[in-house]
Amino acid sequence: MDESHYQIYRTACQIRAFEDAIARAADQGQVPGLAHLCTGAEILEATICTTLLDNDFVTGSHRSHGLAIGCGADTYTTAAEIFGKAAGLSGGFGGTQHLVAAKSGFLTSNGIVGAQVPLAAGAALTAKTLKNGGIGIGVFGDGAANQGAVLETMNLAVALDLPLLFILENNGIGQSTSAEYASGGTSLSKRAKAFGLRVETLQSSEVERTLKLIPKLINDIRSTGKPVFLEAFVPRLSGHYYGEQQDFGKDTSDPLSILEHLLEIDNSSLDGEREQLESTIRAEVARAVTAIAPSPNALAQWETNWRASS
Amino acid sequence: MSMLSIKDALNKAHHQLMEADETVIVIGEDIVGGAGTDSDSELGGVFGVTAGLAARFGKHRVIDTPISETAFVGMGIGAAATGLKPIIEVMFCDFMGVCFDQILNQAAKIRFLSGDQIKLPLVIRTTMGAGDSSGAMHSQSLHGLLASVAGLKVVCPSNAADAAGLLKSALLDPNPVVLLEHKGLYDYQSYVEPSLPAVPLGQGNLAREGKDITVVATSAMVSKTLKAADLLADALSVEVIDPRTISPLDTNLIIKSVNKTGRLLVVDEGAAFVGFADAVIATTTEQAFGSLRQAPRKLVPPHTPVPYAPNLERQWLPGTKYITETVRSMMSE
Repeated sequence: MDESHYQIYRTACQIRAFEDAIARAADQGQVPGLAHLCTGAEILEATICTTLLDNDFVTGSHRSHGLAIGCGADTYTTAAEIFGKAAGLSGGFGGTQHLVAAKSGFLTSNGIVGAQVPLAAGAALTAKTLKNGGIGIGVFGDGAANQGAVLETMNLAVALDLPLLFILENNGIGQSTSAEYASGGTSLSKRAKAFGLRVETLQSSEVERTLKLIPKLINDIRSTGKPVFLEAFVPRLSGHYYGEQQDFGKDTSDPLSILEHLLEIDNSSLDGEREQLESTIRAEVARAVTAIAPSPNALAQWETNWRASS
Repeated sequence: MSMLSIKDALNKAHHQLMEADETVIVIGEDIVGGAGTDSDSELGGVFGVTAGLAARFGKHRVIDTPISETAFVGMGIGAAATGLKPIIEVMFCDFMGVCFDQILNQAAKIRFLSGDQIKLPLVIRTTMGAGDSSGAMHSQSLHGLLASVAGLKVVCPSNAADAAGLLKSALLDPNPVVLLEHKGLYDYQSYVEPSLPAVPLGQGNLAREGKDITVVATSAMVSKTLKAADLLADALSVEVIDPRTISPLDTNLIIKSVNKTGRLLVVDEGAAFVGFADAVIATTTEQAFGSLRQAPRKLVPPHTPVPYAPNLERQWLPGTKYITETVRSMMSE
């Protein structure tokens, strides 16, 4: 374990604390619409995000709070967007399913299952064309693995040699339908292999391997310019959306506890650091709850700007 | 001034744009042609619009794709959002049915959903129009459907200068622009300035000045309407407006004209129901009701898919004779 692993731990704790604070806000009726929390995927997502460099861009699904924060989006601003406030990442125009923190490298999350994956191929094409050393990372779930947009992009990335990392977060259930039921063929990564992609898989319990494999894959993509497909099994700790009544699809194993164990956090100074992180984030999210709503003129201004811009 | 076809004007504009800016790339099916074969010859797109680009700028900037519209349109959107200026060719606008999510939900919304963090200098070039027995899945005119999507700009050039000039403006715009080129107009010759200057989006063209009736015509209907206006010239003075940009529409130009003439006819190849012609009539009725001397009318194809048989297709399309008759009939009311 080295310093980078502690950084991953801190980012993962930050994401967990953020999602917990969003859940509390949802309990209090502060979240318009539904919040799809990423709890269970923090280690995977924190590892991806802490490995990225300038010119890399990530796109994610509707469950992307963690990726946005992991890439460096400010927690107050991200929470404000989720609450539909003027101070939000997009001034409250986007919301929880459409987070954009472009300057931090989080290009966009998406309300359409799988649609973010071709966009990541575009980021990879930009990096390749400008020769700026960047890569694209498309993160999607097992539900999206059956979408044409994702399958087409696997083929396109191989045909055009794009520096693109496909990350299939397989939590075993797409909304409320199991991946086993929804997928012809039992292995989603075998499909990727059939397209000619290099394929790796990760179990959710393989936390130590996660910390090492993801940086290696990203480095390989940078040096070869070729796409890679990673199927990572992750638990979905809080259901499809927070507060849903169904009891299926909720896992109890928690990779974050495994990492704590690996890092021997108990009784160490980091334990206090986690509490500090959690309290800071709780405060940021609470502050976002009280932020002001967008001005009534915001939409009219947008329409005028859209027509006039050229 | 020299004569140029729409195809050649577009081709020249592509060369100019790619030469001036290294971030301009072109993406599409068969836009180079021969990829993966032994052949060195360039097809340059099924209509030849992208001819010579790969030889000059390289296949890393002129990219042939698999037949996979969702993936390559989405890739173009992602590239536009991260620093390139892609021109994507979707061979026929009918094929937008295949990749409509990327157009409807991704391209059209990303700037809005990002709160303007992301600009999208993206042009999707495609073809429209019936008249060559290509059948119902290669002949539609979907400009009205596309214009109904907030966040997309939509243009339908009717001549060479506008085609090249609107392409140039479209690539500078921070919004995605769909450029619909009529298949039947590619060889249509018209006068251009050799530099092919940019034509602003959102500005219609007063194609012919008149005082008795306003006819708004789009795309291939513009030349048919101008011909009709010529035929009627002894008896009537017909004003012809070519909006050029479908969305955002130059409403002022149309309203000003209708305030002068008091009559409106819209000639369009788009949908007969909830189509572009309906939008023009609704807008004019809302804004210039007091000036209208009679109910506005539209000349559009029947509300059916495009038929294949040449005689049926000819009958399906609005033609000069029908335009002339309709104008005469309106003037006698």
